[in-house]
Amino acid sequence: MSLIQVTNLKKSFGSLDVLKNVSFEIRKNEVVAVIGPSGSGKSTMLRSLVHLEHIHGGSIRIGDRYLVQDGRYASTPQIKSITSGMGMVFQHFNLFPHLSVQDNLELAPRTVQKRPAAEVRERSKELLSKVGLADKADAYPARLSGGQKQRVAIARALMLNPAIMLFDEPTSALDPELVGEVLRVIKQLAEEHMTMVIVTHEMGFAREVADRVLFMDNGEVVEEGPPSQLFANPRHERTRSFLNRVVTV
Amino acid sequence: MNVEYLVKISKPMLEGAGTTISMFLIAIALSVPLGFLFTLMAQSRIRAVAWFAHSYIYVMRGTPLLLQLLFICFGLPMLPGVGEYLVFDRFLAACIGFVLNYAAYFAEIFRGGLLSIDKGQHEAAQVLGLSRWQTTTKVIMPQMFRVALPAVANESITLVKDTALLYAVAVPELLHFAQTAVNRDASLTPFIVVGIIYLFMTLVLTLFFKFLEKRFKYE
Repeated sequence: MSLIQVTNLKKSFGSLDVLKNVSFEIRKNEVVAVIGPSGSGKSTMLRSLVHLEHIHGGSIRIGDRYLVQDGRYASTPQIKSITSGMGMVFQHFNLFPHLSVQDNLELAPRTVQKRPAAEVRERSKELLSKVGLADKADAYPARLSGGQKQRVAIARALMLNPAIMLFDEPTSALDPELVGEVLRVIKQLAEEHMTMVIVTHEMGFAREVADRVLFMDNGEVVEEGPPSQLFANPRHERTRSFLNRVVTV
Repeated sequence: MNVEYLVKISKPMLEGAGTTISMFLIAIALSVPLGFLFTLMAQSRIRAVAWFAHSYIYVMRGTPLLLQLLFICFGLPMLPGVGEYLVFDRFLAACIGFVLNYAAYFAEIFRGGLLSIDKGQHEAAQVLGLSRWQTTTKVIMPQMFRVALPAVANESITLVKDTALLYAVAVPELLHFAQTAVNRDASLTPFIVVGIIYLFMTLVLTLFFKFLEKRFKYE
């Protein structure tokens, strides 16, 4: 059974349909890249998986539980429990500026999960080393570069031991020379078979790391397939014209 | 003007400064939390609660503090029926006036602080599983206070000087003793001494808030 199943997802802002019958599945240990032009609904789709967006129709199943079934949401405590298995990384990092790097990592495990301080500290050290920032534990986010902030944000999400990691354009706010360090961390997670959904504009990265690519346009999943096929031989005209635009520029 | 005279006039003035400082401390200690409560009420999803908070802030900011003090000291006791229960000690009445008035200003200052916080902070807290209460206390409030700090400092200095309004409701504070000495001795010196005492108090406050700003710089 797939880990995430999205069926006929619908959302509109007023008369504008942002998501029109979006359906897809994510299997365990799979890395799926979501590409498409701005305004195609990719971020909205991703955000709806963790209930940062309220959807108006369709179903989202995470594991064996429905976050929303035929447009009807689960109860608030259930929503919280269902979404707690997912980590989210934002385009603008959203680190807590008043907390040190270490406290950013440890806030949720301590206050939400009430894990013992010693175990949390050990884990935060381990994850900071993993993202190459062991020496920044006591620094405040204001002192970090964009790439370092995003790596902290990834470590913070991993602190809760999520089964699924969601990335919403994780490198779009970064200077070009800082993109690589973030992508390397995500790639390492892929090699460890973390289940991931990555909304991205980095076509080279999507091609290299993703097991499958979804192309979204105008609120729909237009086409999906393995990167080798989708990038080299897109079946759909809209995919082709999008790829032509981004690859030639 | 000699040292002996300075010592003589300073003694009652320092006593008056004690009243000023007590008033200041009471007003700050109560109006900051009350102001924050009004900030939260103004954000409330319950329309009546938000409306009440906004109206309260409008009335308190829209009328002179002096009028409010006179109203509490002299107006409330005139209310038919309940007036006799609303006769307070002057100092207490003035405390109530200052707390209610400054709470409205602090409410607006904190509201400004809240508005400056990016919605990404709420989203990050939500996906990390923090409850609304945890988000408010651990994520939003510390950032809000940091943003509000310079404005709070400014308002506190204004409060020190506004305590001089106690003069109008006949609570013997710093300015009262200075005025008495000026009248009695036909000398300007007490005004200069009192000015220096106010400057000293605001200096202490300024340094204190500079220290807080540095302490909570988060860099």
